[in-house]
Amino acid sequence: MDGIHDMGGMQGFGRIPINQDTVFDHNWQKRAFALAETLAWSVPFDADQHRRAIEQIAPVDYLRRDYFEKWAIAVQTLLLDAGLVDEEELRSGRVKFPIPQDEHPPVPAETLVQATRAGAQMTCPETGSVPAFAVDQAVRVRPHGAAGHTRVPRYVRGHIGRVVSNLGFFQFADAMAVGKGPAPQFCYTVEFEARTLWGEDAQADDTMFLDLWEPYLESA
Amino acid sequence: MPHDDHDPLEQGAALRVRALEELMVAKGLVDPAALDAIVEYYERDVGPRNGAAVVAKAWTDPEYKGWLLRDGTAAIASLGFTGFQGEHMRVVENTPDVHNVIVCTLCSCYPWPVLGLPPTWYKSAAYRSRVVREPRVVLEEFGLTLPEETRVQVWDSTAEIRYLVLPQRPSDWQELSAEDLAERVTRNGMIGTAAV
Repeated sequence: MDGIHDMGGMQGFGRIPINQDTVFDHNWQKRAFALAETLAWSVPFDADQHRRAIEQIAPVDYLRRDYFEKWAIAVQTLLLDAGLVDEEELRSGRVKFPIPQDEHPPVPAETLVQATRAGAQMTCPETGSVPAFAVDQAVRVRPHGAAGHTRVPRYVRGHIGRVVSNLGFFQFADAMAVGKGPAPQFCYTVEFEARTLWGEDAQADDTMFLDLWEPYLESA
Repeated sequence: MPHDDHDPLEQGAALRVRALEELMVAKGLVDPAALDAIVEYYERDVGPRNGAAVVAKAWTDPEYKGWLLRDGTAAIASLGFTGFQGEHMRVVENTPDVHNVIVCTLCSCYPWPVLGLPPTWYKSAAYRSRVVREPRVVLEEFGLTLPEETRVQVWDSTAEIRYLVLPQRPSDWQELSAEDLAERVTRNGMIGTAAV
């Protein structure tokens, strides 16, 4: 989606706020983070669905609202989509209707911490799938982006780069974001010359690396 | 930038989250103990000191450094640092010839097990938009001026790989203990927005 979240290369945002050096400034930010981490189990939703919901926030709100408020807004969207809450409940914090508890068990603290420490499984067996591109091959990023959640930034679209590694067979973010995962695809690290992307203002020899799933690429 | 205690936007966000937490507990979707546990985990067990331990070991143990650059995931896991947003790690080495810097232009991807959760500036529109387009100007703002002959490599975390920068080893490293070396390593040094 050509949304406001796709910020690479945009201009006009001013100096880096390097003194905003903390993770949390308010307790509610910690609670918003923790709510997303726990509700991911009981609703449930995955990281790509949560990212997609953040990307759907109106651009004006995306730019001015706090990072963790956007996490909370995205969680609200996912709860509404799942039919587990209504708008009035979200406003008041008070329950209007019950939900089928057995289908949405809350994650116990110990399970959550253990799973967080273990990490997620994001690769799949290749089972005979053959990668379309080889290391050192020139590839062009497909010029048109997908309307939904996708992980190819605008600033590389249509540009030619070089495959530097095949990372493996990964769950595909575009499919995961709409609950149609894992639909695995090969994913590659692709190197681009900075001047290819940014013109003569970039310094010769500077380069950019992006990790791109196979459907984003075509041979060049 | 200090936060204004009377900022209506901030107050609205706080109210939104409080109502959400009350509702989720009342609906039985969340165990409040799990909320406390996950915050405590990220405040106590995870943070840049984990990454600093990885870097200090790489500076003093050439065999480990080779492994770390070849298979970052396994070498980092061998020190006990694993988990969400660190399942697939790649470590990129700074040298006099090459300087690496990491970003996530699309959201806020960051190697949680080794660096903790990202600071606010890393998630800012300014950093995400500019570091890919004018990395040298951005690094100057952080106080890091690179020689023109040093190549800059920017890594945009667009898929499931998370990146960690291995900063250049300090010249006096042989005089320092492992603990002192780890203390030299800064979070920004491992993002690539500072030298160590």
